[in-house]
Amino acid sequence: MIQFFHVSKKYPGGQAALDEVTFDIPRGQFVFLTGASGAGKTTLLRMIFREEVPTSGQILVNGRNVSAIPRSKIPYLRRTIGVVFQDFRLIARKTIFENVTYLPQVLGVDLQEQKKLAYQALRRVGLAHRLNAFPPELSGGEQQRVAIARALINDPDILIADEPTGNLDPDLSREILRLFLEVNLRGTTVILATHDRDTIQRVGRRVLTLDHGRLANDQELIGTDPPALDPLAAEAPQVPEELIPAPEPPPEETAG
Amino acid sequence: MSLLKALRYFFREAGVNLLRGWKVSLLAVLTIAVSLFIGGAFLLVSDNLESSVERWRGEMRVVIYLKPETPEADLRRLAAEAARAPGVRSVEPVTAAAARKRFQEVFPSLSNLVAGWQEEPLPASLEIGLDPRTAGNAPGREAWLASWRTRPEVSLIDDDREWLGQLATAVAVVRTVGVALVAGLLGAAIFTIASVIRLTAYLHAEEIGIMRLVGATELYIRAPFYVEGLLQGVIGGLLASGALWAGYQLLHARGGGSLFSSVLALDFLGAQQVAFLILLGGAAGLFGAVVSLRREAL
Ligand SMILES: Nc1ncnc2c1ncn2[C@@H]1O[C@H](COP(=O)(O)OP(=O)(O)O)[C@@H](O)[C@H]1O
Ligand SMILES: [Mg+2]
Repeated sequence: MIQFFHVSKKYPGGQAALDEVTFDIPRGQFVFLTGASGAGKTTLLRMIFREEVPTSGQILVNGRNVSAIPRSKIPYLRRTIGVVFQDFRLIARKTIFENVTYLPQVLGVDLQEQKKLAYQALRRVGLAHRLNAFPPELSGGEQQRVAIARALINDPDILIADEPTGNLDPDLSREILRLFLEVNLRGTTVILATHDRDTIQRVGRRVLTLDHGRLANDQELIGTDPPALDPLAAEAPQVPEELIPAPEPPPEETAG
Repeated sequence: MSLLKALRYFFREAGVNLLRGWKVSLLAVLTIAVSLFIGGAFLLVSDNLESSVERWRGEMRVVIYLKPETPEADLRRLAAEAARAPGVRSVEPVTAAAARKRFQEVFPSLSNLVAGWQEEPLPASLEIGLDPRTAGNAPGREAWLASWRTRPEVSLIDDDREWLGQLATAVAVVRTVGVALVAGLLGAAIFTIASVIRLTAYLHAEEIGIMRLVGATELYIRAPFYVEGLLQGVIGGLLASGALWAGYQLLHARGGGSLFSSVLALDFLGAQQVAFLILLGGAAGLFGAVVSLRREAL
């Protein structure tokens, strides 16, 4: 799904932000990206959606060489990748509905369908009732959930999150993290940057560690506290595992 | 995506941007309006001057004044002779007495100025109407006039062509000055619009970043700004046309029979010219927007 081959990045005037980074993230994996501030996490993530290009090396996303995509085709790559940031990046003057449906609107989806998509996406993050609010009226945790709904609206293959809980207190962070795990359960590849070692220890999963631009460690961790964060355990312990990842049905059809 | 939907979105975004930044938008609209107003005024005056010149050209005359003592028989003989020349449409012999009567009719208050003289105060003349098609320069016209000048009976020849020629030159000068002035003003207006659009884009930098992030195409991101420039220009053009019309009505109401209403602004601009002003405004606005966003990164 996401392959880096000897990727290096040098910003003009600076030293190497990334240095010969190589890894392969298969489809459907959940990956933590960690490392101290300035280790190169943001730079690495920005390369996946071609916000930045490597100085050397190759990046394949979904089998496509990202550096070779012509400028005019970049939007099509980005439509398959949802991105969430630490600072939410919502448009303050637009409603939650408008923020979330920006991409469907660009794609010319009709309003009725947009509403359905927005409802589904916001329901997944538990905010379906705030459709007409404006971002500043929401708490930080809620804003981040809206940002996640926006990232999910087009059913992306990949969800990228750059320190999504950096601005949130621990309880909210857990909730947000649970959302990402849920999204991953439905088959979306998730790559989440954080320098919160604690969370990583508790949740487990694959962990890529950057140190001064080098990939210092690539390991599988077993979480110490999976039930607390595992959406299966937390929300529906009695349901057989194979029934869980079904997509949520639209509201009309849930009654029966 | 459907074009109609996209256009609706572009216009809605542009409208919202115009209203949100209405102060700077107004500035842009006014600079466009002022330049188009001045351009329109020049167009109005030069068009009317030109049509006046055309009209006068149709009535163009050469008047040959005779010496005071020329007998009436000579006047008739000369008239008959003049009528035979090519390009002459009509010849009207005006006797000295007829000239005096006409003067008294046209200027009743000045009639005693020419009354009570021993001799006739005004000279007899031949009023020669020229064929408008060749009026300006029928072949041999100069030689023909020169031959009249050397006649002993002739005192003076008044040739309309001279001042009509000068007037035509004046029209051309007005036109040129107008075009140059408008080009300069429009340049300034385009610069203003470009700055305003760039400012709007700058204020929306964060939003634009988010649009890019979720996968909006460049066209989709930029089109609202292009439409904003277009709207500013078109609104400027509409304002300019309205102001021209109001000014025209005002001057007409005030100055009936003055030089202005009879020569400089007999007719208002035609629908095509008004449409041209508005389109010019729109084009200038669009151009300003395109120029301001021409760099790859907004
Ligand atoms: N746009 C940029 N221009 C120059 N240097 C940059 C830029 N972005 C990041 N850097 C540098 O690259 C290194 C890695 O930064 P970053 O990828 O943001 O790390 P992290 O997200 O892990 O904190 C840092 O030394 C940072 O100063
Ligand atoms: Mg970072």
